[in-house]
Amino acid sequence: MSNSNSLGDYPPVTKKESSTNTLHEYIFKDFKLILVIGLLSLILVATSLTPFTMVHAQQPKQVTLTAIVAEPKERWDSLFADALTKLRERHPDMKIDIDYRVLPYADTRKQILTAMAGRTPIDLISIDQIWLGEFAEGKFLSDLSNLTQSWNRSSEWFKTNWDGGIYNGKVYGIWAWTDVRAMWYWKDLLNQSGVSPDSLRTWNGYIEAAKKLENSTKDKGIQAMHLVGASHSPDMWYPYLWMLGGEIVKQKSGHPQKGTYWFPAYNSTEGVQALQFLSDQVKAGIKPQINHFWGKEFADKKFAVMLEGSWLLGHFPRNESKNFDKSVGMIPMFPVPKEGDTSATMMGGWMLGIPVTSTNKALSWELLTIMIQPDVLAPMLANYAYLPTQKPIAEGTYSTQLNATIPYYKELISMLSIGHSRPSIAEYPQIADNIRQAIDEVYLGVKEPKQALDDAAKKSAEVLGWS
Amino acid sequence: MIPIEKTLIYSVIAVYLFITLAPLIWVLSTSFKPNQEAISFPPKLLPDAPTLDNYLFVLTDPKLVTSLFNSLLVSIGGTGLSVAVSALGGYAFARFEFKGKNLLMSTILGLFMIPVVINIIPLYIMLANVGLLNSLLALVLTFQILIIPLNIFLLKNYFETIPKELEEAALIDGCSKLRALWHIIVPMSMPGFLIAGILSFRFSWNEFVLPIVLSNKPDVMVFQVALYQFISLYRIDWGYLTAGITIALIPVVVLMLISQKRMIRGLTLGAVRG
Amino acid sequence: MKLTLEARAGSLQPYLLLVPALSILIGFLLFPLMWNIYISMHNVSLTTILGEWKYVGFKNFSNLLRDPDFHMSLQVSLLFVGGSVALQFFVGMVLAVVLNQQIWGSNAFRALFIIPWTVSAVITGFSFKFIFSDSFGVLNYGLEQMGLNPVAWLSDPGVVVWTLVIANMWHGAPFTVIFLTAGLFSINPVVYEAARIDGATKIKSFFYITLPLLKPFIIINLILITMWSVNFFDLILVMTNGGPLFASTTSSLYMYRQAFEFGLLSKGAAAGFLLIGMNLVLAYSYIRLFRRQERTVEIRQM
Repeated sequence: MSNSNSLGDYPPVTKKESSTNTLHEYIFKDFKLILVIGLLSLILVATSLTPFTMVHAQQPKQVTLTAIVAEPKERWDSLFADALTKLRERHPDMKIDIDYRVLPYADTRKQILTAMAGRTPIDLISIDQIWLGEFAEGKFLSDLSNLTQSWNRSSEWFKTNWDGGIYNGKVYGIWAWTDVRAMWYWKDLLNQSGVSPDSLRTWNGYIEAAKKLENSTKDKGIQAMHLVGASHSPDMWYPYLWMLGGEIVKQKSGHPQKGTYWFPAYNSTEGVQALQFLSDQVKAGIKPQINHFWGKEFADKKFAVMLEGSWLLGHFPRNESKNFDKSVGMIPMFPVPKEGDTSATMMGGWMLGIPVTSTNKALSWELLTIMIQPDVLAPMLANYAYLPTQKPIAEGTYSTQLNATIPYYKELISMLSIGHSRPSIAEYPQIADNIRQAIDEVYLGVKEPKQALDDAAKKSAEVLGWS
Repeated sequence: MIPIEKTLIYSVIAVYLFITLAPLIWVLSTSFKPNQEAISFPPKLLPDAPTLDNYLFVLTDPKLVTSLFNSLLVSIGGTGLSVAVSALGGYAFARFEFKGKNLLMSTILGLFMIPVVINIIPLYIMLANVGLLNSLLALVLTFQILIIPLNIFLLKNYFETIPKELEEAALIDGCSKLRALWHIIVPMSMPGFLIAGILSFRFSWNEFVLPIVLSNKPDVMVFQVALYQFISLYRIDWGYLTAGITIALIPVVVLMLISQKRMIRGLTLGAVRG
Repeated sequence: MKLTLEARAGSLQPYLLLVPALSILIGFLLFPLMWNIYISMHNVSLTTILGEWKYVGFKNFSNLLRDPDFHMSLQVSLLFVGGSVALQFFVGMVLAVVLNQQIWGSNAFRALFIIPWTVSAVITGFSFKFIFSDSFGVLNYGLEQMGLNPVAWLSDPGVVVWTLVIANMWHGAPFTVIFLTAGLFSINPVVYEAARIDGATKIKSFFYITLPLLKPFIIINLILITMWSVNFFDLILVMTNGGPLFASTTSSLYMYRQAFEFGLLSKGAAAGFLLIGMNLVLAYSYIRLFRRQERTVEIRQM
């Protein structure tokens, strides 16, 4: 019965037998006791010994470089494998290994923060460009200025990308590769709706096209335009701000502690105008998407038009890249207010840096330089459709290889000239959060663009120390 | 039992069974679909081309198997440690009077209210200084902090329901004290140990926030963290992920199934007398 | 071994027995907490952690209490915790009682109902994020098939908290089921028999016999699930990361984001202590509430 009384299950209280009667019971139970304790101690010992066994398995004169890098994993696998081979060739007397941990984006940052707090020796880290200010300010990163001088390749970098790794005049990170965001569309869907791709180039044209497309694609369960409502929505708004001539932050004098420091500039008239465009999109029926699948939703033909980064190409089967441009069109820009305006896009990507806690700085630096050698880096870029930050790869022999394997490669490269990057200041994550809130408020129709941006700018000013 | 009652009861069960099982069935069915098909839209319940590939992949990938093994090791070791340690503590509270007893008990229960996540950084620094980073032993110890206070409380209550006379009688009969304790108290407390053990195991097995910071080296990774690698920024391997989830479910579910009754009885006597 | 039972008064034995447990708790729980207390009184963030820690006294706490985002998170926490506890308790109670009746397969059903609790929070969050997805989720698809309008489960600020409450219920109700079942097991069926003979209906026996006898279990259960809901954040982090518009940012998630997304460790630590304070107040209130009830019952019986 389900509700039997539990008290009845106890052994009867009369079990006070003398020890001799139940001797064999005692021995049996002792055995169990010994077995249990033995097993538990074995497990505890095993768990505590694992670090030691690891150590003993290694050979003397071993150098293991540790790295913390962000997902996805495969690109690091190929990059580290290649670079390690070359590094080992250069040092035949040493046994070099790389122990790299690949973590999700947010956890990479958390891990770096924790490791630095605990002063754990780490030799190499991948740095998102927006973390550079923080990490440099927090004195996590080694100053690479002298090393880069003797390395003497800084002139081979595109200026914006090289400057992205500089904080307070010193080099803290090397921008290894980048990406740009462009417009992608399914040619057949646009054809069927009678929408010409050129109409997507202007703000008005974009919105008109959205309405036309929605009418015809609705029945197929396909949405017309994709609008980013996920947490990186500021990244997809900045281009509109930039193309109007606006800035996210500007230097201003009169700061309570620092004299001249950054001040929010994104609530300018340009900013309001830019945010108004997003608001118009929502009013025209375009839904902000909270979940983001980084291009897969476009590859799965759930959207007719999508503004997305160049990594979108990675979602399409590699062997069909020749025919890619037959089905998918690309416009190397964000829509502009009126025909003829210069567009803008946002550049992302990853930097490499060496933490101050590294105990193998020279070797790590060497590894870093090998990783960004054209012959090592270019194959990886080709494989994952990332864009180079250095001229030897962007122009010259490597570019032909990339051109051949990456659809629309020339167009993507051309966007580097209109690419902007976000400020590398310590407070950026909070500022981005303020902007994200403003965007959400406009998406939900809670506030008008000007009000939303002004409120956000007030918070950002406080964050930057202006109160 | 009148028919109306029976229908009512069964309908309630049916409704909640649906709510409970629906997501799990989706997980299970996805685990038999190849990765590509997994998030096809519209969603399909039965796989078009059912396959065991996902399970094969998860069970043969050396890193995943290692992490599974690590999880088992840490959870079993931690459970043993937690139950033993809590039993000693619970016994102290149950059978002895000592100065500061009530205060200590309240403090221990109060510790339970700490959101463990704020301790990540200091724990990391502490372990780094002692050299226990990326070690399973550290995991064994840290996972249990979540549940030891509750276990002490449960076992104390449990021991209190066992009449003192039993131990005293055994002593009178000439047993050595050690034997008396072990052969009288422990067998009678099995349900209590069981619930403490299962709680410990479940908390340890499901732990994610701590190990992702304290032990992300591949050889000491735990299963929950290893599963997370299928959720990368650009791509989710639903097939592998759901196969992994199903596998992760097995130990705890099995434990709960085979010991249901006794475990609940352990709670019955362990929870009273707050 | 330390299991000797000498009855010497004032001996060290109880303390010795407590040493293993206490050393783990002190080492791994209290010690790190001390660190947190220390940094909550200083200005420690990602950018200052390796540098100088300026002493600021209680400024972090006062700033926090004045922060409108924190106020909002308290409101959200109230909704989330209140909803979660109420729902989990109600569902748990109903299921525990229902399964305790003499019906076929109650053990099997109970075993099935426990499964959600054995899934980790992160995995639960992830699965539900997908199920509740606006455009591609199974739930909205099902609603559309039935001719109903899809709901913006995760993107409507007014709805999102309740979506999370549902997910939390799915995940946490089994614990209440087990706990209250344990309580039901402690009630001697003879009591019900006697009541039935006296002519009490099933419903009457539930309210006048079962509930009062379950009281100790109910109190502890409520304290536990309340606390767990207050401290819970990984589910929310995975499902919504606090959005949209902070409508799902509970105080625990707020604390997590301040510390790890913005690197404001001191602020996170201060928030953590406020959370602990909340837990203590809630636990204390439960105990007081039920003790007062008992006293009124006693008075009525006199």
